[in-house]
Amino acid sequence: MKILLANYLRLATGILAVAFFWSGAGYADETCNSPYMSRLIKGQEHYLHVWTLGVKGLGDGSDKLVTVDVEPGSKTFGKVIHTRSVGGRGEAHHMGFTDDRKYLWAGRLDDSKIFVFDVGTNPSKPKLVRTITNFSAKTGYVGPHTFYALPGRMLVQGLSNNKNHGGVTGIALYNNKGDYISRYAMPVGMTAIGGGDGYGYDIGVNPARNVMLTSSFTGWTNYMMDLGKLIKDGEAMKRFGNTMAIWDLKAMKPTKVLEVPGAPLEIRWSLKDGDNWAITASALTSKLWLVKQDASGQWQAKDVATIGDPSKIPLPVDISITADGKGLWVNTFMDGKTRYFDLTNPEQPVQTFEKVTGKQVNMVSQSWDGKRVYITSSLLANWDKKAADDEQFLRAFDWDGKDLTLKFEVDFYKAKLGRAHHMKFTAKPQATAANESSGRLLAAMEK
Amino acid sequence: MRRAALALFAGAAFALGAAGADLPRQDYVADAPGTYALQRIQPAGNGWVLAGNYVPRRLSTYTHGAITLLSFVYTYCTDPAGCPLAYNTFVQVKERVSEDPALRGKVRLVSLSFDPTNDTPEAMKLYGGQHATDKTVPWHFLTTYSLRFLLPILEDYGQEVELDRDADGKAMRTITHMLKVFLIDPDGNVREIYSAAFLNPEVIYNDIKTLTLEASPASGPVR
Repeated sequence: MKILLANYLRLATGILAVAFFWSGAGYADETCNSPYMSRLIKGQEHYLHVWTLGVKGLGDGSDKLVTVDVEPGSKTFGKVIHTRSVGGRGEAHHMGFTDDRKYLWAGRLDDSKIFVFDVGTNPSKPKLVRTITNFSAKTGYVGPHTFYALPGRMLVQGLSNNKNHGGVTGIALYNNKGDYISRYAMPVGMTAIGGGDGYGYDIGVNPARNVMLTSSFTGWTNYMMDLGKLIKDGEAMKRFGNTMAIWDLKAMKPTKVLEVPGAPLEIRWSLKDGDNWAITASALTSKLWLVKQDASGQWQAKDVATIGDPSKIPLPVDISITADGKGLWVNTFMDGKTRYFDLTNPEQPVQTFEKVTGKQVNMVSQSWDGKRVYITSSLLANWDKKAADDEQFLRAFDWDGKDLTLKFEVDFYKAKLGRAHHMKFTAKPQATAANESSGRLLAAMEK
Repeated sequence: MRRAALALFAGAAFALGAAGADLPRQDYVADAPGTYALQRIQPAGNGWVLAGNYVPRRLSTYTHGAITLLSFVYTYCTDPAGCPLAYNTFVQVKERVSEDPALRGKVRLVSLSFDPTNDTPEAMKLYGGQHATDKTVPWHFLTTYSLRFLLPILEDYGQEVELDRDADGKAMRTITHMLKVFLIDPDGNVREIYSAAFLNPEVIYNDIKTLTLEASPASGPVR
């Protein structure tokens, strides 16, 4: 703190350039977070945080946030530099930053706990500062999946409910301090706007149009079931989402339901200024879907490309759009392939590259400049492959526009960490224009 | 500390003027008042502030009893997507409110300085110009005695103060803030937080109208 204060006082000796307000006009993060989030990392990311599922008998067996040094030239480049276990195993899944990028919310799909990590104070050592346990009790929903920042607030998309563990669910709203505010049910049977199956998965906001777009997956009973058993259960396989919904963001009311068969998952709005279209991949039907307005201004969804051979169910899972909106990475879990689609014409995406990057691959995250691509392996604890095919890793690649070159790998089983799932970047304070919080500045001055 | 803060904020105008920024697109028609609900996000922050007469008052004096639009500013900011955007938005909202008889006496605006050293009560009054004295829609230009009094308020609102650092970890000569404007109901609850991505005067006006549809009439003149 003395150092902080000294630096603060040192400022008195110079003329300072002050860039006070962050406009928020630069949409999204690198490249798939809320447009309301500040501090884009447009240069080199320094740390990569992996929300990791604990495995019984492996290490401490607990779910944990694993921090990896990804800064080239660092002595610990490519190494795990910190882990923070949260206790127990609850199906760790996705994460999301608050609008100020100081806190990282991480959810568990089984016990519905939400863990809030301080990643702003010292991103190399995230600190667990809060555990939110009232998600299900307050909302009736289960499985906090997507964490999507609004100014001062966090939208939390559920996957299921606590009445029948099916797929009908909704969205919770918390303030940044972790206080529950409200809930919003997913549209179901709303014939006036196109129906709706009540399912939920991802959230994507287009502020320029006051539009929120949601997608749909499946409920607790299915996502906690062994995948082999699930596929053989015809009735269970009927219980997947087949819709996306357009919402009036301001009112938080659904205005139109779009038919998108086969579990449309991740939503990516084009980041290019002036674009007003989003793209998603349907997991079970293996297609890319474009969501945009037609000539009359009505939002429509249409399938614009096929991913691999749908008859073999490659199971597209995560996607990552480039900052210019002209390219899309697609990971297909079953065949372990990472594919690249040219989105120059979003009406007709063209696959231009594919490579097997693991025996099973799930999440894919790219740097803002598109030069670095990170891949992890775990989909869900009971859906991951078995025996030798159950690789668990983080792999970092360089992308030169033609090929993915492996830079480093962390074997999550060998390191006794668990199953590697969602990833988020942070950077040292100087790269993000971030530094002391007001509270810490105050504390510094009081010493 | 006051001198430190003075230096901290000096020279901002030049830097901000050079920085520039694209204003966010807002290609939609604002929802009509009363067709949606504004959630109670958090209690409005509190603390000691100074107005033109240097008499300390609780900030809650300016955030209760009327619908309040509050933002943090500093007088020499020139970032087109920062203070000027907030100021111009406030002016537009003020015009709309003053033209609406149903809102008379129900709305106030508050601009609270980030820089208590440079932005003295006199400087804030000068910054406010005619708006500081025009009583049709009260617009209070406030500051604090020092950063010690300001920072807890910023913390309450979730409006951070941050210093850049260079590659060696040393504090640089830049500070970054994310623009936030807070809409507060007469009971002192924050009901909306606007960032630049949707700082739309029409939306704010409709939000104010929405709050009036649920609020009881003000019992006395708005201070």
